[in-house]
Parts: sequence; structure tokens; C-alpha cells
Amino acid sequence: MNIAWKEIKKSKVKFMILGSIVFLVSFLTFIISGLANGLSQDNAALIKDLPDGQFYMNEDAEETYNLSLIDPNTQKAALNEHDGAAALSIQMGFLNDEADKQRSVAFVTSTESELFENVQAGEIVLDRSLEEEGLKVGDILTNNQFSGEFTVKGFVDQQKYSHAPVAFINMENYKEMYRVNEMQLIFIPDGGETPVIDGLQSFTNSEFLNTIPSYSAEQLSLNMIVWFLVVISGLLFAIFFYMMNVQKIGLYGILKAIGVKTSALFKMMWTQMFFITAIALALSIALSQSFNFIAPDGMPFSLTAVTTVQLSIVFLLIGFVGATLSGIQIKKVEPLQAIQQGEV
Amino acid sequence: MTIFTINELRKTFTTGEVAEEILKGIDLTLQQGEITALVGASGSGKSTLLTIAAGLQPASDGKILFNGRNMTSMNQEQIRKIRASDFGFVFQSAHLVPFLTVEEQLFLMLEVSETTLNKVQQKKEIADILKLIGMEHRKSAYPASLSGGERQRVAIARAIIHKPQMLFADEPTASLDSKRSKDVMELIRDLTKTLNITTLMVTHDEEMLAYADHIITMKDGLAE
Repeated sequence: MNIAWKEIKKSKVKFMILGSIVFLVSFLTFIISGLANGLSQDNAALIKDLPDGQFYMNEDAEETYNLSLIDPNTQKAALNEHDGAAALSIQMGFLNDEADKQRSVAFVTSTESELFENVQAGEIVLDRSLEEEGLKVGDILTNNQFSGEFTVKGFVDQQKYSHAPVAFINMENYKEMYRVNEMQLIFIPDGGETPVIDGLQSFTNSEFLNTIPSYSAEQLSLNMIVWFLVVISGLLFAIFFYMMNVQKIGLYGILKAIGVKTSALFKMMWTQMFFITAIALALSIALSQSFNFIAPDGMPFSLTAVTTVQLSIVFLLIGFVGATLSGIQIKKVEPLQAIQQGEV
Repeated sequence: MTIFTINELRKTFTTGEVAEEILKGIDLTLQQGEITALVGASGSGKSTLLTIAAGLQPASDGKILFNGRNMTSMNQEQIRKIRASDFGFVFQSAHLVPFLTVEEQLFLMLEVSETTLNKVQQKKEIADILKLIGMEHRKSAYPASLSGGERQRVAIARAIIHKPQMLFADEPTASLDSKRSKDVMELIRDLTKTLNITTLMVTHDEEMLAYADHIITMKDGLAE
């Protein structure tokens, strides 16, 4: 007989209160995690969507790509030695459309590579968000540091950097705009081992992301909130089951006296914990995934199935740990204590 | 036939540096199918004796033989198995599981005792015992909706549904009025005689002694 289920059926309100709190906390966690992911995409999709590999910047740049200038000879040698390698630069800037409306963009230029858009001089390829704002192929755009004009050649999906749409431009145009001949970075797709290049410091994709100050600060805060919520839910489980167990000490004692195994009492508690958590998680997954679709345009929200499953597993594990810790009382309870306490 | 023997049983409780001997060498023999009542003043050690005999707390010294097996040398799991399948308990309060119906309380006990009966046989067994205690019409009721007397009758049914060899009753009528006390004691006597169960019972109520085959008076940790 499943006494765990019988208790849930008889004490619906008590378990619904616990379930609703788990639901609220997990829903909030999913939403904040979706926002963290969304902001992360909005901040660095350009880098995040690259294959695993190594970024290189000048050792003197103190891990700040803006300060990095790679010697052209070093760059040439590196690109020749490694298949698929590309040198690139990123600079924040502005574009003016034909109506002189100014838009903030991240200018990106690179040597010829499959990983980045390669454009001819005078052409520009933009992130699709600018198309949604009204720009179209053939539009003429200008920049106050550039003597010529840019013609919009096309749009690409999900290319954002530092919360701004990326604008891919030709290297010669970039050099004119920023008065430099050197590139800031070299990217070498993963070829197994990490190549060492004299004078350059290497970073994995995630290490490079963390050198972007706004990215690391933003993600740290949001991830901290997510993990606080996960820990809070674990504590909630521990506290709720502790309180329920305190109320049931007498019952546990009597059950032990008549011969019920301690392990059976733990199974009863775990069954209840898994049942409540599973229902609460199912509801919050359904709602947060719906929010994925109904989130307002422009709201950086991205909750992937993988993140949802990972967080759900963490919730189940932390619920299990919380409930088990509170269940230590069950192990300690003496049948005699219960008998002397009177009616349960 | 002797089913339960206690030899030189001692129990000492230690609080800080003070050790107090509650049981000072008890010898006791219980015959199958008989009801033995333990009486005595408060603090005489009768409840301690009952709970040690029932395997609910360990003795400090001495031997308890159940069916020839020495319980004092058994581990916790072995004692739990005996409690589950060979012992039945009735306490001052009914101590029913609040979220189980009367019928489910009995199912639970059969499950705990690892009965070999199949589901149909279990149902029949439960129906029979509910009839015996006059509670068949209340089989779907939860403890909260039962009267004190009804709860105690269900507790007795739970204590014997798995046909234990021993029944331990700690003041089973303490929370009942005189009429219900008599009903409950008659029920215990009738069921234990029918099922040949050996009963060790603690009581304060002199009227209940009429139902016992043997009376043992406890005084200052000794059986007189």
C-alpha cells in the first residue's frame, strides 16, 4: 500500500501549499535563467555561436581585447599555420541611415573566414534586428569616421555583441575608420591541442567571454540569483519536511513500534517530495516555455530545453537532499517516545 | 506451553552521574493463550518491563526468551522483524494512522508483517476481524470520525490482524469510560482466546483484573 500517496490524498491542502511554493520558486528560477540566457545571447551571440576554439590577443593588452594590437607578421604566420584561423576586430560605433537616424552597432571585420561574414569594401551586412527596425537591402548608411558610404548587402540571424547588433564591414573600411592596421584578435577553431603563439595570450571561448566586462558582471549577477533561488528551494524543502516530520514524530514512532522499517518511512517522504516537485516543475516548465513564445519582442529571453532539463534535475536533487536532511529525525525517533506522547 | 520467559531482567537508567535501577531482577513466565496482568503503583517498573519485553527498549541485564530464542542477543533488525510478525501492540491511545481508513490501517499491518496471504485473502481476513469487533460498517471511516471506543477497537484489530503470538497492552482502557473499558477488555479476552494469543497487559484499573488469568504485582522494581 502506498501510504505516501494516501497521505497526500488526505492532506491535499498541506501538500498543495508546499507544491505551490516550489512551483513559484522554480518558475521564477526558469524565468530568470531565461533572461540570463537571453541577455547572454544579446551580449555575445557573435562569440557564443562560434565553434569551440582559442582566441588570441596581445600579451600586453592585459586581457582587454580593445587594447590588443596583433603584429601583422605574427598574424600572417598564425593564419598560414592553422586551418580555419581568422583575425578579427570588434569596435562599438554608430551608423546613420538615410533619414540621419543614428543606430548603435558593433563593427566587426575579419580576414576571409567561414566563421564571419566577408563583405566587399563599401558593403555592410547587419544583424536581422536592424531589418526589423526598418532597414532593408540596398539602403545607404554612413558613419562619421568613414569617408564613403555603406550599402546594406544583407542580414544575418543572431549576431549581437554588447547588446548591439553586429555590422560586418570590410577590413579596409575598418582600417580607415579606426586608423589602425593591426587586428585585435586571432581565432583558431579547436584542432585538438592549444597552439602556442609567441607574444600572444590564448583564451577559450568562455574565458574570452569573461574578459568582456559587461558580460561577466551581468552573467555573474543573474547566475547568482538563479543559484540563490535553487538553494532557497532546497532550504524550503528541508524546512517544510522538517515541520511535517516534527508533526509526525508520534506517527513515525508508532509505525516503527509495529515494525515498519525506517527505510520505508524515508521512501514515503521521498515519494511525496518527488511527487510534489514533479508536478510543480511540470507546471513551471509549461508556463516558462509558454513565456518563451509570448515574451514581448525585444525582450532578451531564451530558455532552452537543455537549461530547463538541467535546472529541473538540480531542483529534484536539491529537494531530495533537503528532504533527506530533515528526515534524519525519522532515523532518530524512538517508538517509546511516541507511545509516551499520547495520541498522534 | 511456555512461550515467553524473562530471567533476572534488570534495567538501570543513568541521568548524569546518578544511576537508578528500575527493574531489579525480574523473573516471569508466560503461557500460550493466557492473559497476564501487571499491576502496581506508578514508578514500580511495570511499563518499563512491558516495553523491554516487547522489544521497544533494551534491557541492562538478563534474558528474554521468546519461543526459545534469546531476544537480548538480537540486533535491531531481528527485533523489528519479531515486532512486525509475532507481536501486537495496544497502547493507552489508539495511535491510528490519521490518513488511513479503518480498512487501510489493517492492510498496512498485514503488509508490515509480510503476510503470505494474497489480496483476496487479506480482504477476507480484514472483513472477518472488522465483523468480530463490530466495525464492518465503519471500514471506510478515518480515525478523526471515530469515537474513542471505536478507535481503540480498531487499534486492537490492528494488533491482532496478523495473528501474532504475543499481544502487549499498555493500559488499553486508560482513555475510555467504564462501559467502553469493559467492552474493550472483553474484546481482547475473546480475540486472544479465540486466536490463542498470549497477552501481557499493564493496567491500573482493578476492574480489568477480572479478565486476566494471572496477576503479577510490581513493587520497587521487583515482581511479587
